[in-house]
Amino acid sequence: MDMILQIIISGLLLGGIYALVSVGLNLIFGVIKIVNLAHGDFLMMAMYATFFLFTVKGIDPYVATLIVFPAFILVGVVIFRLIIKPLLGKAETEVNTIIATAGLGFVLQNLALMLWKSDFRAIETSLTGKSYEFAGIMLSAGRTWAFVVCIAVALILYYVLMRTKVGSHIRAVSQDTEAATLMGINVNRIYTLTFAFGIALVGLAGVILTPTFYVYPTVGLYFNTMAFIIVVLGGLGSFTGALIGGLIIGLIESFAGVMASAELAQVFSLLIFLVILFVRPQGIMGKSARV
Amino acid sequence: MKNIMKQKQSLIVMGILALVLLGVYFLPLTVFAKHILVLTLFYAFMGTGWNLMCGYAGRLSLGHAAFVAVGAYTSLLLFSHFGLTPWIGMIAGGLVAVVVMLLIAYPSFRFGLIGPYFTLASIAVAEIVHYLLIYGRDLTGGSLGMSLPYVKGTTVINSIINLQFDSKEPYYLVILVFWLAAIFITWKMERTRYYLEAIREDEDAAAALGISVNKNLIIAACISAFMVAVGGTFYVQYFRYIDPYSIAGFTLSLNMALVAVIGGSGTLFGPTIGAFLLIPLTEVLRMSLGAQIPGLHLFLYGILLVVCIIFLPKGIASLPGIIRAKRAQKSTEDGPENQASKGVL
Repeated sequence: MDMILQIIISGLLLGGIYALVSVGLNLIFGVIKIVNLAHGDFLMMAMYATFFLFTVKGIDPYVATLIVFPAFILVGVVIFRLIIKPLLGKAETEVNTIIATAGLGFVLQNLALMLWKSDFRAIETSLTGKSYEFAGIMLSAGRTWAFVVCIAVALILYYVLMRTKVGSHIRAVSQDTEAATLMGINVNRIYTLTFAFGIALVGLAGVILTPTFYVYPTVGLYFNTMAFIIVVLGGLGSFTGALIGGLIIGLIESFAGVMASAELAQVFSLLIFLVILFVRPQGIMGKSARV
Repeated sequence: MKNIMKQKQSLIVMGILALVLLGVYFLPLTVFAKHILVLTLFYAFMGTGWNLMCGYAGRLSLGHAAFVAVGAYTSLLLFSHFGLTPWIGMIAGGLVAVVVMLLIAYPSFRFGLIGPYFTLASIAVAEIVHYLLIYGRDLTGGSLGMSLPYVKGTTVINSIINLQFDSKEPYYLVILVFWLAAIFITWKMERTRYYLEAIREDEDAAAALGISVNKNLIIAACISAFMVAVGGTFYVQYFRYIDPYSIAGFTLSLNMALVAVIGGSGTLFGPTIGAFLLIPLTEVLRMSLGAQIPGLHLFLYGILLVVCIIFLPKGIASLPGIIRAKRAQKSTEDGPENQASKGVL
């Protein structure tokens, strides 16, 4: 019994991390309707940033959030202006944004390889290797805090989207670009804002992940697939969906990892993903009709 | 009438290209240059196979490595366990790939998976194949991969049967024939191509005109899977080693898509143009920069891709059309002025 409870709790904590990684992707995918294949690579960049802030400057990862988050907003704006915007509203936008972001991913991965080599790096903070014991169940300290941050981010995002003016603009643009333009919303500004915050959120996820995961140039690839599965599973543009999707995948991995093997756990997640794509492409929580 | 003319033109271009490439065979080149040529033609072939499904029908697959892997492992396993010639092995591998494709293509098209959803599904399929290859380590060697058992070709016929040669030239001829066959099949499908193009532009309208949308898409998908699976067998025979990461990984899928998209997807020679631009460039960059600063060549390659996509969103094959349009625009701009000046005279 304890064993099963432990698996469930570990799965939920892992799911929280996955959800945090996916939120930014969900925002960009849901509003601008583009697939950002470089998503995981931005995560990797944020992890390196955190790593060096800690090792060189001695800045604690949780404090590093205050530096990385604004920096990644800036990165997001620049990338949007340089690469995404020229492709929007032209022939083959869907295909070309996918290819362009894949190229961007190449650039980022190899930039990391050039600058920092392919070594696996890890930092040791006050949380590393620590765990809390709660009614006989072990909770990894780093992951518990990541989970807390994830819930906090989800709540803040929910508030911003549902209760503020900018949030209502973002929702309007995601529902109908033309109608939003007619209502006097500057769609271009909303796109830039959404992309920048999407990138900043994955930056935040990178910071939070660094104390519990290794950093290496292709770490993004692993999280990329996972993030896409979760986004589709939960439903495009649905943040509750991203959270639920993350928790489901976390649980699946946790259970399958104990019962079978790590590879089968992945295969199982992917199969569920395919089935959801076929029968319910709007995801578990999504409301929008088939695109 | 115009279409027939255009079709004949492509046939002539195809013939000239084939002759030129055959002529290259007789040039005294270095081993490295020959390797680049084989690799370029390999990617031209793979891109053409990819293009048949993805370019003409407008579905971006980033998971075609799944079929390459299925083809490669099938023929390699048949060869190393039963000594079956790769020529039969590649057909067996192609058929298995077609079966895998049917399992995915049918529900994809049946449930109308398009746009990014199709791309994500294709990536998932390749990932599944990737993980299954690692999981089945008793048969496939897992992450360590498998080597092709070397068989010394005692006679020419023996070498041909085993599809193993000690020099690069025979591989070049083999892949040249494959590429020519792929171009020819695509050309033959030009008639179906109009169906596929109609489907790409407007599926409902195509269906209303009596085009069997799903049937056409599935046929194109199966031929495409068969072709890249055959390419997988060639990959094994040429490199003599495969592992799940290199043959079922995202990079191979992406490369197949890139040569087609950069060259011009949905055009007969687009993937070939793309391959002849990208592959020699990457290999030369790798040779000149890869050793000193690892990653620099792929860094530059990535930048090149992004720039290409931004400035030529329809690929290099669209360049003549753009230039012609610019010229036409210029002449219409010049036109009235010229007439006006004539009027003054």
